[in-house]
Amino acid sequence: MGIGQGVLTATRRQQTPAPARRRWALLLLLPLGVAISLGFVVPLALLFVKSFETSLGYGQVSGHLTFSSYVTALTSPLYRTVAVNAFEIGGIGTVLTLVLSFPLAYFIRFRLRRGQHTVLLLIMISLFAGYIVKIYAWATILGTYGVINTALQDIGLIRHPLSVLLFSKIAVLIVVTYLSIPVSTLILVGAMQNVDRSLLENARDLGAGGLRAVTSVLVPLSMTGIVASLAYGFVVISGDYITPQLVGGTTGQMIGVPISDQFLSVGDQPLGSALSFLMLAVFVIVYLVLTRLERFKGV
Amino acid sequence: MRTVLRRLRRRLRRRGIGLLHVYVGLLLLFLFLPLAVLVLFSFSASGQLRFPITGLALRWYQEVFSSSAVIDGILASLGVAAVTGAVVATVGTLAAVAVNRYRFRGSAVVAGMILAPAALPGLVIGIALLNFFGDIHLTLSLLTVMIGHVIYTLPYFYLVLSARLRRFDPMLEEVATDMGAGPLQRFRRVTAPLIAPAIVASAFVVLALSWDEFQITFFTIGDQSTLPLVIWSRARLSIDPSVNAIGTLMVAGSLLVVIFTRRFIAESYS
Repeated sequence: MGIGQGVLTATRRQQTPAPARRRWALLLLLPLGVAISLGFVVPLALLFVKSFETSLGYGQVSGHLTFSSYVTALTSPLYRTVAVNAFEIGGIGTVLTLVLSFPLAYFIRFRLRRGQHTVLLLIMISLFAGYIVKIYAWATILGTYGVINTALQDIGLIRHPLSVLLFSKIAVLIVVTYLSIPVSTLILVGAMQNVDRSLLENARDLGAGGLRAVTSVLVPLSMTGIVASLAYGFVVISGDYITPQLVGGTTGQMIGVPISDQFLSVGDQPLGSALSFLMLAVFVIVYLVLTRLERFKGV
Repeated sequence: MRTVLRRLRRRLRRRGIGLLHVYVGLLLLFLFLPLAVLVLFSFSASGQLRFPITGLALRWYQEVFSSSAVIDGILASLGVAAVTGAVVATVGTLAAVAVNRYRFRGSAVVAGMILAPAALPGLVIGIALLNFFGDIHLTLSLLTVMIGHVIYTLPYFYLVLSARLRRFDPMLEEVATDMGAGPLQRFRRVTAPLIAPAIVASAFVVLALSWDEFQITFFTIGDQSTLPLVIWSRARLSIDPSVNAIGTLMVAGSLLVVIFTRRFIAESYS
């Protein structure tokens, strides 16, 4: 890196003129352009159009464009409740994930030397153990006839199974946090790679305690990773429609469930589309707030 | 209580174990306890989730392997993952090379477009694709599942490969150009062999993601189910002990992939 590379880049620029480079780049990008347009941009645009159409029932849609689905989505107390629930679980779960993952990431990056790869491997295994498998594993632990309930009954602490363990908001919160910790830890370790170990040591030499050194030096320097972890976690958790169905019961329902229902069998697809784009709007707002947060890293 | 804790802390510290060690140990326990329970009960003779386990048996594995739905699910998942991996490796490599090697105006926009699907929940991608396939009258099948998986895994492939490409020495390409290699020959003889290990490793990330994908697949699946959807159909209604066995197989599968790519993981975090 540095001067040498700069000179080389300059010579290459002279050898390959800009229009030629651009032609090559466009050619290489052609397959990607086709894939992203057909598999992502066009479907998303069509979904947006659908949110302005009206349902005629039985999965049929009229091409007449109105805001009626948005009006229904915003005024119905049913959707408001599950939306508030989703963003509440998303917010708490994301912050909880960050608070739990940060010390682990710090430990992996700065305290481990030989064991570093082993612990990263363990986190990768946990990450790829299977989304649906992990939710099911929690259902077997927290369920009515699950591990905790049968154990408590065997000891004699309770006579009837506790139903609050499973099928509650708390159960959803436990599971989504559990699911998010591996990704969050990997993002944070990645961000901390750019932080020089000696900066933390210097802070300690200047009299900052261990915790103080972390909060005043490491946190600002790894703010990119913190924001990435929060933004990614909030989207993934708030948009989850499977965890609430498997462990949520009546109190732990989230907005993703009614959205997905509208697209199964004979639902109201325009309403489902409108709800999705309102959800995406909240994600954009949260993202903008978080990037503001990133800019305040000097404090 | 406080004095007990303080004494415990002092004793641990004497052995060089701080609170952080204890915390990390507990967190790893939290991450692996559900998986351990799953694996343990997959070998249980009875269908009950009760400790202590009364007998060990392979009956759930026998049931799983004699079920054609599970075998079909495994084959469908492997097929989808293989095709997705091949397509994403091709499309993603060309794009990553284009953005990282040929700096051009708008390359940041292109990078943003590639990463955009990762910024949306799987639910929205799933319903958008379902709606789209309905509009163009494309019957849902494993093909539509693959399309969803390609879109879902491209950002991750691109991120992992780009991180590697940035560290790759551009001087090697310069030398090839100076010695008279054209762009195509340069790519085939110099760039490709150098980045091949990174492409393979990134493709394994795609395989792992595809093997595990549920949220998009749920909306794009036709008559044939992938393994996660087989699990869903069994787990949705009640606790089914055979799911423990299928789940253990899935954990084992991802374990193999991760161990296979461990050298690369070590490199990308050093």
